[in-house]
Amino acid sequence: MKRMRTLAGISILALVLAACSSGSTDTAADTAAALDDSNCAAAESFCVGLVTDISKVDDKSFNQSAHEGAMAAAAEVGGFYKYIETTDTKDYAANMGQFTDKSYDVIVTVGFLMAEATVTAAKANPNTKFIGVDQFQGEVVANLTGLIFPEDQAGYGAGYLAGLMTKTNKIGSVLGLEIAPVQLFAKGFEAGAKAANPKVAVTTVYHPPADNGFGDPVWGAAEAKKQLAQGADIIFGAGGGTGNGALIEIAKAEGAGTAVFCIGVDTDQWGTVPEAQPCLITSAVKGLTLGTSDLVKKAFDGSIAGGNFVGTAGIADYHDFASVVPMDVQDKVAGVVAGLKDGSIKTGVKL
Amino acid sequence: MTLTETKNTNKIGFFVRNQSIVVPIAAIFVAFVLGGILISLQGVNPLVAYRAIFSEAWFDSDGLLRTFQKTTPLILAGLAVTVGLRVGLFNIGAQGQLISAALASALAGIYITNLPPILHVIVALFCGVIVGALWAGIAGVLKAYRGVHEVISTIMLNSIAIGILDYLVSNPFQEPDQSLQRTKKIAETAVLPNFGVIPFGFILALIICLLVYWMLNKTTAGFRFNTVGKNKFAATYAGINMKLMVVTGMLLSGGLAGLGGAIETLGITYRFEPAFNAGLGFDGITIALLARANPLATIPAAILVGTLRAGGASLQFETGIEPEIVDVLLAITLLLVSAPILAKYLFKGKAQKSANVTSGWGN
Repeated sequence: MKRMRTLAGISILALVLAACSSGSTDTAADTAAALDDSNCAAAESFCVGLVTDISKVDDKSFNQSAHEGAMAAAAEVGGFYKYIETTDTKDYAANMGQFTDKSYDVIVTVGFLMAEATVTAAKANPNTKFIGVDQFQGEVVANLTGLIFPEDQAGYGAGYLAGLMTKTNKIGSVLGLEIAPVQLFAKGFEAGAKAANPKVAVTTVYHPPADNGFGDPVWGAAEAKKQLAQGADIIFGAGGGTGNGALIEIAKAEGAGTAVFCIGVDTDQWGTVPEAQPCLITSAVKGLTLGTSDLVKKAFDGSIAGGNFVGTAGIADYHDFASVVPMDVQDKVAGVVAGLKDGSIKTGVKL
Repeated sequence: MTLTETKNTNKIGFFVRNQSIVVPIAAIFVAFVLGGILISLQGVNPLVAYRAIFSEAWFDSDGLLRTFQKTTPLILAGLAVTVGLRVGLFNIGAQGQLISAALASALAGIYITNLPPILHVIVALFCGVIVGALWAGIAGVLKAYRGVHEVISTIMLNSIAIGILDYLVSNPFQEPDQSLQRTKKIAETAVLPNFGVIPFGFILALIICLLVYWMLNKTTAGFRFNTVGKNKFAATYAGINMKLMVVTGMLLSGGLAGLGGAIETLGITYRFEPAFNAGLGFDGITIALLARANPLATIPAAILVGTLRAGGASLQFETGIEPEIVDVLLAITLLLVSAPILAKYLFKGKAQKSANVTSGWGN
């Protein structure tokens, strides 16, 4: 007994020593990193900060795309980049404050839920450029640019494909929170499907309001399972981790990739959610990375303007399903996507 | 026995007698050491990381305000669970009680008008307390008259509360022209003010904490609560009305959690949105266990958790460490505190000897 206690004591001591010793060696590296954003106020330095919604920069869809865009743009123009991941919706302002305190030049806030907090912060810090991803600006604030997308067009294209591909005439969508960008995706999806196939029935389900609306894969999987049981054979999973949960569930279902398909969202999820590959025919994408990096670069050269900046939207590559989706279907969908782009086809979606 | 040996055993005796203080502090220490190792594995000096947390949370006026704001509902949720534990009830439903109260006080803040400022705040707080108490009271009545275990009923009532609140904020009480599911803003007259960096709600929480301590330790009602909690058969034999105690215990517990939700709405968020109060009630369980069901100890426990949460953002900004490390620290602490087996193993042998010695020497 006594020996065991001594052993426990020694091991705790060892842990303390380990923590202390490794601490002292890292100090130099730390101060070096801190130097990078210590003079953001200076004209020659360009500092870009990013605040995520309640999600991580590796969420494999929304936040990750914006993060990659901002990071790439900052690197391209020789700027410094840093991010904070929000863990509590009450901390949006405090997290943006970390960047404004250090006089960052550009702050990217990711997500519709941060719209109000971003407007408040932009008005309080007129010398900082704010980029609000997915934040429609009703009133123009000179130093705030909302990056918005025609999500209804991406949804419409995906829905058109689903309408042509369904055998059961039943399709569904498993969605994140019922907020404008998600609604646009969902309504576009439904409109596209109906346009391709008037007989199709679309089941739509939004995550109930909660702080994990875009990070609830368990709920997403359960809803996907429910829709499959009701006979849906193509399901659109749109809502960060929640949607990913649905995609992965469908990929494991019987007939995945032959009778049952899924459609991803935001980015080409063939690459970001490889677990979904067995069923993933395409993704309804919006140019998050491109739009974010464009705006950061515009902020760098000073050509950015307040108000809204419309990014791109469309559907991703078919990847391995290029041989499964019939050629005539591919042609029709390509025609519709092109029509949406040039304005000859309207989605007719209104919120 | 020589003099030095007696001194040694007395020292260990001191630790044993003050286990309720020593164990949590040792647990926090070990958690910070283990957390430090995790942080240094990511190439960051743990001392720099911890300094980032504490300098943001305590030595920055905005940060200090947020620390107090985050601490307030934690104190009350911790007290709610503590009171339950004293009566022998494990109230896991503080979350459900807290969120229903948060909505109730928001509605009182929005739809009751024409009240003078101070009265409006009191009425709105009261609405929250009542709703929280009644929500917990359901579990109390079920336990007292139907024998339904409170762990089951309170956790189920959490889900029911979430469902009802989702409906209420997405239909009858949703803010007009707003796609987010949330209520309107409360009236100016219902806002709980801040005194500099000290939110009024924090002061209120401290007062309530003292009151609960006094009630549990100095009053007949508190004596009954403790007796029921320690041995319900003895309590019944002594003529204490068990059913009444169970129901009032739950009402009190729910009222405290409700006050936490009400302060959150009236002092910080100014409206109800389901995402706002995530996890606060569950943090209350952490705090009550950390405080070992001692009402006064909930204050330092809640301050610890509040500090870590408030400093988390700065931690990522300064060092790039993900804010979730804070949850790792809390989880390790809780694991150690709630693993009395380990403590017993470490202290037991010596403790018995020490007891023998002291009784042998007649002191």
